[in-house]
Amino acid sequence: MVAKIRNAQRIICLTASARALGLRSGEALADARARVPSLLAEEATPREDALLLGFVADWCDRYTPLVAIDGDDGLFLDITGCAHLFGGEEALLADALDRLERQGFAVRGAIADTPGAAWAVARYGDGGSIAPGQQEEALASLPLAALRLDREAVEGLERVGLSRIGDIATRPRAPLANRFGPDPVRRLDQAFGREGEPISPRFAAPLIMAERRFFEPIGRMEDVSAVVLSLAGQLSDALERRVQGGRAFELALFRVDGAVQKLAVGTSRPLRVPKRILALFAEKLKADESVLDAGYGYDLVRLAVLEAQDEDPAQLDLGGQGVAEAEADLAGLIDRLGARLGLDRVTRLLPVDRHLPESQTALVPAAVVREDALAWTGFSSVVLGCDDLGLGASGEAGLLQTRQSSEVPLERPLRLLNPAEPVEAVAMVPEGPPLRFRWRRTLYRVVRSEGPERIAPPWWVGAPDAPPSTREGVTRDYFRIEDDAGRRFWLYREGLYARETATPRWYLHGVFA
Amino acid sequence: MTGFAELCAASNFSFLRGASHPEELAMTAGALGLSGLAVCDRNSMAGVVRAHMAAKEVGLRFVPGCRLAFLDGTPDLIVWPQDRSAYGRLTRLLTTGNRRAPKGECHLVADDLAVLEEGFPMALVLPAGLPEADGVARVLTRLKGEFGKSVRLACSLPRGPSDRRRLQLAADLAEACGVPLLATNDVLYHAPGRRPLQDVVTCIRLHERLETAGRKLQVNAERHLKDAEDMSRLFDAAPRALRESLKILDEVSFSLDDLAYEYPEEPAGESATPQAELERLAEEGMRRRYPAGAPEKVKKAVAHELALVEQLQYAPYFLTVYDIVRFARSQGILCQGRGSAANSAVCFCIGITEVDPERADLLFERFISPERREPPDIDVDFEHERREEVIQYIYRKYGRERAGLAATVITYRSRSALREVGKVFGLSEDAIGALSGTVWGRSSAGTEDTQVREAGMDPADPLLTQMLACAKTLIGFPRHLSQHVGGFVITRGRLDEVVPIQNAAMEDRTVIEWDKDDLDSLGILKIDILALGMLSAIRKVLEMLRAEYDVDYSIASIPAEEPEVYDMLCRADSIGVFQVESRAQMTMLPRLCPKSFYDLVIEVAIVRPGPIQGDMVHPYLRRRQGLEQVSYPSKALEAVLGKTMGVPLFQEQAMKIAIVAAGFTPGEADKLRRAMATFRRVGTIGTFQTKMIEGMVQNGYERDFAERCFRQIEGFGEYGFPESHAASFALLVYASAWIKAHYPDVFCAALLNSQPMGFYAPAQLVRDAREHGVEVREADVNLSGWDAMLEPGMEAAKHLHRRHGEMKDVVRSTKAVRLGLRMVKGLREEDVKTIIALRGQGYDSIRDLWLRTGPVPAGDHASGGGGCLPLARARSAHGAVGSAGTGKGCLARSPAAVRHGPALPISGGNRMRTCRRCCPGAHVMADYRALSLSLKAHPVSFVRGALSEMRVLPCRDLDRIRSGRQVTVAGLVLVRQRPGSAKGVIFLTLEDEGGVANIIVWPKAFEKYRPLIMGARFLKVTGRLQSESGVIHVVADHVEDATPLLARLSDMSLENAGLARADEVRRPVIELSEKIKPASRLAQLVREVPELRQDLEPQVPKQTLKALPGGRNFH
Repeated sequence: MVAKIRNAQRIICLTASARALGLRSGEALADARARVPSLLAEEATPREDALLLGFVADWCDRYTPLVAIDGDDGLFLDITGCAHLFGGEEALLADALDRLERQGFAVRGAIADTPGAAWAVARYGDGGSIAPGQQEEALASLPLAALRLDREAVEGLERVGLSRIGDIATRPRAPLANRFGPDPVRRLDQAFGREGEPISPRFAAPLIMAERRFFEPIGRMEDVSAVVLSLAGQLSDALERRVQGGRAFELALFRVDGAVQKLAVGTSRPLRVPKRILALFAEKLKADESVLDAGYGYDLVRLAVLEAQDEDPAQLDLGGQGVAEAEADLAGLIDRLGARLGLDRVTRLLPVDRHLPESQTALVPAAVVREDALAWTGFSSVVLGCDDLGLGASGEAGLLQTRQSSEVPLERPLRLLNPAEPVEAVAMVPEGPPLRFRWRRTLYRVVRSEGPERIAPPWWVGAPDAPPSTREGVTRDYFRIEDDAGRRFWLYREGLYARETATPRWYLHGVFA
Repeated sequence: MTGFAELCAASNFSFLRGASHPEELAMTAGALGLSGLAVCDRNSMAGVVRAHMAAKEVGLRFVPGCRLAFLDGTPDLIVWPQDRSAYGRLTRLLTTGNRRAPKGECHLVADDLAVLEEGFPMALVLPAGLPEADGVARVLTRLKGEFGKSVRLACSLPRGPSDRRRLQLAADLAEACGVPLLATNDVLYHAPGRRPLQDVVTCIRLHERLETAGRKLQVNAERHLKDAEDMSRLFDAAPRALRESLKILDEVSFSLDDLAYEYPEEPAGESATPQAELERLAEEGMRRRYPAGAPEKVKKAVAHELALVEQLQYAPYFLTVYDIVRFARSQGILCQGRGSAANSAVCFCIGITEVDPERADLLFERFISPERREPPDIDVDFEHERREEVIQYIYRKYGRERAGLAATVITYRSRSALREVGKVFGLSEDAIGALSGTVWGRSSAGTEDTQVREAGMDPADPLLTQMLACAKTLIGFPRHLSQHVGGFVITRGRLDEVVPIQNAAMEDRTVIEWDKDDLDSLGILKIDILALGMLSAIRKVLEMLRAEYDVDYSIASIPAEEPEVYDMLCRADSIGVFQVESRAQMTMLPRLCPKSFYDLVIEVAIVRPGPIQGDMVHPYLRRRQGLEQVSYPSKALEAVLGKTMGVPLFQEQAMKIAIVAAGFTPGEADKLRRAMATFRRVGTIGTFQTKMIEGMVQNGYERDFAERCFRQIEGFGEYGFPESHAASFALLVYASAWIKAHYPDVFCAALLNSQPMGFYAPAQLVRDAREHGVEVREADVNLSGWDAMLEPGMEAAKHLHRRHGEMKDVVRSTKAVRLGLRMVKGLREEDVKTIIALRGQGYDSIRDLWLRTGPVPAGDHASGGGGCLPLARARSAHGAVGSAGTGKGCLARSPAAVRHGPALPISGGNRMRTCRRCCPGAHVMADYRALSLSLKAHPVSFVRGALSEMRVLPCRDLDRIRSGRQVTVAGLVLVRQRPGSAKGVIFLTLEDEGGVANIIVWPKAFEKYRPLIMGARFLKVTGRLQSESGVIHVVADHVEDATPLLARLSDMSLENAGLARADEVRRPVIELSEKIKPASRLAQLVREVPELRQDLEPQVPKQTLKALPGGRNFH
């Protein structure tokens, strides 16, 4: 695994066989390659890694709602008050490690009074559960790095012969802090529980939550719906007691293989009717049927209220206004259409920054279009900053201005023929406009023309609109044409005469209205 | 049909905008039959000289120009200076813009234009598309008001959607504002085929990929040079716009040739004219150099030279250099002329060079030729530590407006080109890295198929083909301008009226926009003020000799031709000696066996690409070793080649062959040499070839021999070494060898104090000194200064290593070397000064040290904690701290402590006495980390026991082993070299406590042990021993990583401690194959004499880089 660190590709993670070759993490890839040319290197994907770690964190929700992500590769679980549900700390740890291992992760874990101590034992010790108050004994023999110190601090301490946690644990604290800053002392205190260290859970614990576990996993959507309905009933009771309605609900489906699928819905008003709650999810469940893969089934279903609001009875009685608003909202429309037709099928035209006219737009699923992408950026017309020159506009120039703006023609037809249709044309060589042309068996006589506008397609292979390599002569000369009946056309000649081809071909690409 | 001149063409000196070399533009414009060409780069004149020279060659009218781009939104303006003074105003304008902007940029606003004055021909560039007419009209009106009739409106028609309207708009605007319309194509490249490259450089400039750049790229390939016919078709509605270009040509009478150089005036002293003054100085110098009266040969030479100098009026130039050298001498700065100037007897007499014309065979025409009409080129080396003083003197004397540094054009090389183009094509970093080769990968111009395959890619892949083609074209394109190492330009008038001046990256330095070739082309004076580390070292040696041994020598008065000195060199005992210390020179020394000064001249010159390419090394060696009859093709040539046993080795000899055998005049011979040097550019080589071969045949030589001679000269042209230059260097070789032979203590101390320089790291220098019997003592806070010093010691001659036994009567050292605190990593000179100033009677403990010096060393904690003094002390607890330590390491106050409370009184109880007792091995390792060497022991000595069990031989015992035996050695890796191609041989040097072992690794073994050879610091090598003329190699069969052995000594890793500067893994050298074009012949020779390869590596790059005209290769 390599990543770009300090301007060089460096190894950040190795397989055991690579380590056996003497490669180390932190080494520049170029150096490593020089030594082992056959090295297989993969670009690190920190985003995907983080995503995966997030999944694992979600999965750990089954043990406690307080799960925090630790760095790139660790998780903190605050299991205060949860362990008994799984038969004690040891059992919980064993269960978690066992399940994760079966999912294919190499995993280590430890339980201790403090996050610091658990971290140290998990990463540098033998894991397991440290009995309450036993941190100091457990950590004494571990290297300093186990204290979550940065490298310089560790090296500095090692340089003076302090290499184990035990070496500094009993040392006078003031000189230590003077010498190496507050970090070692603070970390020591945190590990030993002399100083509190809160973990920052990934998600706030939900307000209200109801869950159901199954010995036999369930997979059918009807079953899921039934469970959701019953859980919604429990939530409804709880909400009612608080005189609140839910504004945001989350459904978490824990699959037996460890994947956690989460569906969140928001409501435009506080809600606590079980059936309506189910209905919110029902549309999602249905729409996402292709996405929601039950696999071998779910063994835990949890429904939670993330956000609640005091219920305002006046809003229970819904008028039409809200609905009209929702319809006015384009995004709402797209959602609705998408829910029925499939989101892929609701599309919009998106401008694409390319030279070839036919590649300047793209049809994309409307749901993925952001409003700001609908305008071409970076192509404002030339702005002359002449105002600061302190010159007033002369009368003449003003005249020019008015004459010019009225004359600028439409450069492109609004709609293009796709594909452009071949025409037979008679034109002057090398780059004159057509004199007459035949399109769909009708002959048109050209009276006026403007052009050529020369557009060359991208030259590099693999560009989406690059010409196939078999086509010779691909530069296009576009002409705006008016025939004797006043019809206007957009024609192009493909291939530059003599430079690219001996017999340029002609196409009609569009008609000006 | 009317003619047309393209007056707005951007070359690739409009960095990452233009996509053609200036030469390409000029050549193409000539071929298209244009009436004229103006290269107008963006706020720069960097490309005009090249275009000017190329235009001259094709007989094209060339106009220098510039495209001014403004910060304030004013459209671009093209200007063409009409005469010399207008040109000066333009360069001053650009200088103003450059000086107020960061390096590489030029900030101009419309108000700056006022400098240009009325009548300056210029054209406003109509912005693209259909711009708002109002604004353009306002700018035009204003320009018209300021500059009158000379203002034009330049319009280009790039085949956009409404070109005809654009032309109409331009015509209306021009008419409304009363300015003529000028037709141009706003050229970005010389031919339409460059569109891909132009797109690529645009992407590089905008940090885009081709995929994402979209319409930021040009829509078509129209912005190339077009001939008059094409242009008149485009502008058929406005034919006057074409004629306007011819009018401008008429208006502009300026040519770059008008910059005819005027030398800075030098005070003529007591004499009436500079010439008279020079003659007086030469006369005086001759008397000083030859107290007994100058020999006839020298007198004649001086008279001949003076006559020539008078004829060419170069006297002021000599006086300028003389004055600089005189200044350096007056400040006690050692200096010495090098290069072709050493061919001049006058230079010798007035003290610029040191090569005695009586002893050497000088060829003045190599230096100055009446036919060349180029100012002479005098390069002077100064001590590297004090060169800045000389530079500041020049600035002081001539002022910044008259003196400046020449630029070096940094061009794309294959790796950078591949990297940038790869990025543009969207290749992953990894793929680019694989393509551009690993540390030791090949990187010749253009990636080869095999290399592509090695990188795991398909060379037939069309996208890859395109990418490689683009990268190949990009090679040689200028990237940016940088500062030349020492090329100074001095002018009589204002320099900024000759060429624009830019800010350099270094503060307080300014650089002109032209490089040395440009200056040469225009015949502008330049002096190379170069830095040479050995001169610094020698000055320090001479000072120490005076102070410590009470002997007073100068470089010139060091006793000449002592056989002991040559004996030492013949044994390849040359670590630290100038030029001949590299491993290749060390293998050459016993073969060549220098016995006289002239042998040293040859030694310096022979292991060079020139002689190697010309296939001269082997014949010379064979003849020298008496294996081959020395013969001469003719009596006349015997005089030329006598000194080198019939084998031409020097440039001067090549020229003399042409003179003597083919009847060339000296001037012609010089032309021949220069034609060779640039034969890729200029098509004159054929004529010379015929002339020389025919000339020789007429003079009775065999045609075959004549052709061979010509080929040899061809090999020289670019890379040959002038004899005069070799002789200048040989003087320093002898001087440094003499010092090393007699005073190894002084030599060692001076080299240590002049670091970084040379080939070896301090560890090897110290080791070598100790082997020569010199006692070297620890750096010590109570005894050491910043520099290494000499202390009373013992007679070195009695403690010589067995290997150097025969020197016992030669070595005169009686002192010991006390290492300086400068050896301690991260310690700054100011801190050391404080430590010494507060030392008093000495520090009695580390605590005392930091109590007294206070927070001084705290400033350095930024360097990662390794830098501050107390820390360094603590780390090498028993090393550097010497007497101050209590024998066991104590923690001193740290940067952090200082940060948190510098005034904090620290009671005894608060002190940490925690350092655990280290074993000696850990001491040594700590020393290596802090000092890069250890005097206590060699790390390997601690594992000798284990090594002996493994039957590993100490390196010092190798010379007792019969050649061909199987041996095992182990040691720290000092040198790793892989010269030549990727299939080449690897050279390793291993060091153990007793000596070094030279290892040769053949490719097969290398592939097998690649990770070890390139990565490990401590290696165990088993192989056959090879011994030839005293040079011992071990050919590796089996390689093993022995680092774990060392790891037991200490937890610390060795990192790069003690590794010589010749490690190519850490410091990759630019591949030779990339620079020497006709590589085949070189490769062939190198195949025959594999040990020659390595010598090409250390010195050659700079040499060849200089010789290669940058960015002038056409494809």
